[in-house]
Amino acid sequence: MQINRRKLRSYKEFLLILPFLAVVAIFSYFPLYGWIYAFHDYRPPFPITKDTFVGLKWFETIISNPTRTKNIVRVLRNTFAMSGISLAFSWFPMVFAIFLNEIKCEPYKKFVQTVTTLPNFISWVLVYSIAFNLFGSFGAVNTVLQNLGLIDAPIAFMKSSDHVWFTQWLWLTWKNAGWAAIMYLAAITGIDEEMLEAARVDGATRMKIIWHITIPCILPTYFVIVMLNLANFLSNGMEQYYVFQNAFNTKYIEVLDLYVYNMAMSSTGAYPLSTAISILKSVVSIVLLVVSNTASKLIRGEGFI
Amino acid sequence: MKRFLAFLLAMIMVLSMSISVAAAEQEVLVLDIYDDAANYHGMQTGWFGQVVKERFNIELNIIAPQVAGDAVYQTRAADGNLGDIIILDKTRFQDCLAAGLIKDISDKLPECTNIMAYKTQIDSLNQGLGYAEGVYYGIPSEMTDTSPVTLTDDVIYSSPMLRWDQYTAVGRPEMADLDGLLDTLALIHEQFPTNENGDPAYPLSLWADWDGNDNMIGIANVVQLTTWYGEKIKGSAILRPDNTFVEIYDKGASYYKLARFLNKANQMGLVDPESGEQDWNAVCAKMSNGQVNLMWYSWSTGFWNSQDRLDNGTAFIFVPVKDQTYYCDADAYFGTTRVFAVGSKVEGEKYDRIMAFLDWYASPEAMEFQHSGIEGLTYTKDAEGKFVPYMDNALMDNLPVDQYVEGYTGGYQDGFNAINQWIGNALNTNPNTGEGYAQKFWAAYKAKNMTPMKQEWMDHFQAADSVDYMKKNGVLLASPNVSVALQTDTNDIGLIRVDVNKVLCEYTWQLIFCAEEDFDALWDEMVEQMDGFGYKDLYAFDCANYQTEVDAKVAAASAVAE
Repeated sequence: MQINRRKLRSYKEFLLILPFLAVVAIFSYFPLYGWIYAFHDYRPPFPITKDTFVGLKWFETIISNPTRTKNIVRVLRNTFAMSGISLAFSWFPMVFAIFLNEIKCEPYKKFVQTVTTLPNFISWVLVYSIAFNLFGSFGAVNTVLQNLGLIDAPIAFMKSSDHVWFTQWLWLTWKNAGWAAIMYLAAITGIDEEMLEAARVDGATRMKIIWHITIPCILPTYFVIVMLNLANFLSNGMEQYYVFQNAFNTKYIEVLDLYVYNMAMSSTGAYPLSTAISILKSVVSIVLLVVSNTASKLIRGEGFI
Repeated sequence: MKRFLAFLLAMIMVLSMSISVAAAEQEVLVLDIYDDAANYHGMQTGWFGQVVKERFNIELNIIAPQVAGDAVYQTRAADGNLGDIIILDKTRFQDCLAAGLIKDISDKLPECTNIMAYKTQIDSLNQGLGYAEGVYYGIPSEMTDTSPVTLTDDVIYSSPMLRWDQYTAVGRPEMADLDGLLDTLALIHEQFPTNENGDPAYPLSLWADWDGNDNMIGIANVVQLTTWYGEKIKGSAILRPDNTFVEIYDKGASYYKLARFLNKANQMGLVDPESGEQDWNAVCAKMSNGQVNLMWYSWSTGFWNSQDRLDNGTAFIFVPVKDQTYYCDADAYFGTTRVFAVGSKVEGEKYDRIMAFLDWYASPEAMEFQHSGIEGLTYTKDAEGKFVPYMDNALMDNLPVDQYVEGYTGGYQDGFNAINQWIGNALNTNPNTGEGYAQKFWAAYKAKNMTPMKQEWMDHFQAADSVDYMKKNGVLLASPNVSVALQTDTNDIGLIRVDVNKVLCEYTWQLIFCAEEDFDALWDEMVEQMDGFGYKDLYAFDCANYQTEVDAKVAAASAVAE
């Protein structure tokens, strides 16, 4: 009888999580059915049938033509470079949050935080139009420089491929830093007040408190965020690069997601190949996640999945 | 009394039934129109919507892949129902036909007398697809009533056009070649560095968002200019005046020549620095604002040439460059690249009403609405019933229709036919007037346009109009219009096309802005990359494909010669 009641309870509890399982199944697992296109010679409007099955042909296409392989290597290089820069500077929002927290004038602090968080809610298209109006050939910067007589002809910022990885990182940071700092601000609020008071009583300076208390306390948060970012290493988003790309910088700006989009959307002929590439991307992402999790276990003694 | 009441009730029942039958006939029908040509997505509104509604009680729901994105095609095609009326590019039309998305309209089409005025052309399309006589699936668009070798327009699609006042101000120099054109443009730029308001003006302002369009690889601004040397890009190949093909990257062909031209123009400071950053809308605004000094699409003069400017001589007009031979397409007798069809899911009464609507769509009445406008707003009739232009600015200023014509509401431009594709061409002869439907063919319009500027131009170049000049000097290459079914890309060819086009476009932009001494090295690098992606295979595919079209053109031309 008791076993039955426990069983009943487990059924009930299963029902409670059922909606979430359904959501995950519909939105995360069902789309995997689309992978089928990578194994077919699919071209709309023709449906996929047994006859269109081509096996691993599209995966072979990636490596069979040296120029295409080189092209994909270039895309990967861009992806790794851009994600690498973001990763290398991932401490930036943390430091920003720490310094923000140190501002004692409350209205000013709120002002800075609002101003830096706001860009997160601006779409990339608008960010691009801001960039265009500032740095275009007839943009504000060029106009000012020309009026001051510093340059004769406008500087083609938008058409330049110089330092494009870095400038893209700057735009990304301008848009995201404030938002990313929120997590750290929350972590800082969670620091035990007694610890801080004890430090102050012992005569610790502001910098010392930051160095010996604040940073060690929010470091776990930092690590979790870095790990999550690592799993997303290959998907650094396409909107930003999509709006900023032009014939002059696309060589350096085309990341994997954008490449898949450009291939799939420019012609129906590239549909299966772009699906194949995105499958490979998923596989690599899983590998990266497992690797970083294992590394975390080895270094910190605990994983995050 | 009871009997009378029963009779009365019975009568009422019968009456109400007959009313409901009548209402069923009159029920509003919403048609989904899958439309490759439309620049507007959603329900047709305004006066054209009202014209259709009062005649057929039909409302038009326009599905525009140009607005909603190409994914609309893919999802709807995968769903098995593109729409009730389908307007598609010819190659995709063939795909949809093979996939069973298109309805066989052989039973109803012969009854459509207005459409069947183009029977030769419709037969040619359907039989070209391998169907027996009398089997109909598609109707070509914009067919003319002239012939495949006639050239009715007095100005061709693309030729160099300068502002007459600016050309005159620099002394109307004769231009021997592209260098001569550049020298003239340099003089103009020197004298007119800004427009009237002081905004910077440049001879050339380029845009990047049309690249690779219209089944031609390469950047649109170079692709279009290649027609100035009698060449025409067909897919990845260039068709030369002698009907042979050459690779698009051949250094002896026009793509190279025109890329060089733009590079040199940039060296001379004649290219708008915003070129390559801006899109077509930005350039369009600049054209309307007088910030662009060279135009090359015949229709783009519409952004500047108003009646006032024609009168005071500041309008754009063709100015010849001596070494050029201009390629143009003859009248679209067999129609342009798109095809009208009916969706395979359409049945019964809906089918009848669609065919009735389509037949009306090809009728003189609908053609007048489409090409001439509304009587009392865009034209009036003279004593003989011929059309006289009225309210020139109706489209430009979106004039409120109800102020001129009763019964319609909204702005003229807002209510314009959003299908944006028609069955009969604007140059066809209107049986009601004996003149072409489009304004430019009306005698009254021509008289009005005999401005001092036009007179000066005629005296200077000793010709009546630009086509007349080209014909007199033997520099016009009018390619006959033919109806052939081209093969669609396989996935492998399609993939090469995407990659090769991307390389060509990227490099061409860099070539325009590179230093002159780097040009050839960059070009060779581009060729190497294109070949690496399999350009040769693509070229072979396109040559074989377009050879059928060339053969048909040669046959059409020789048929006329005999």
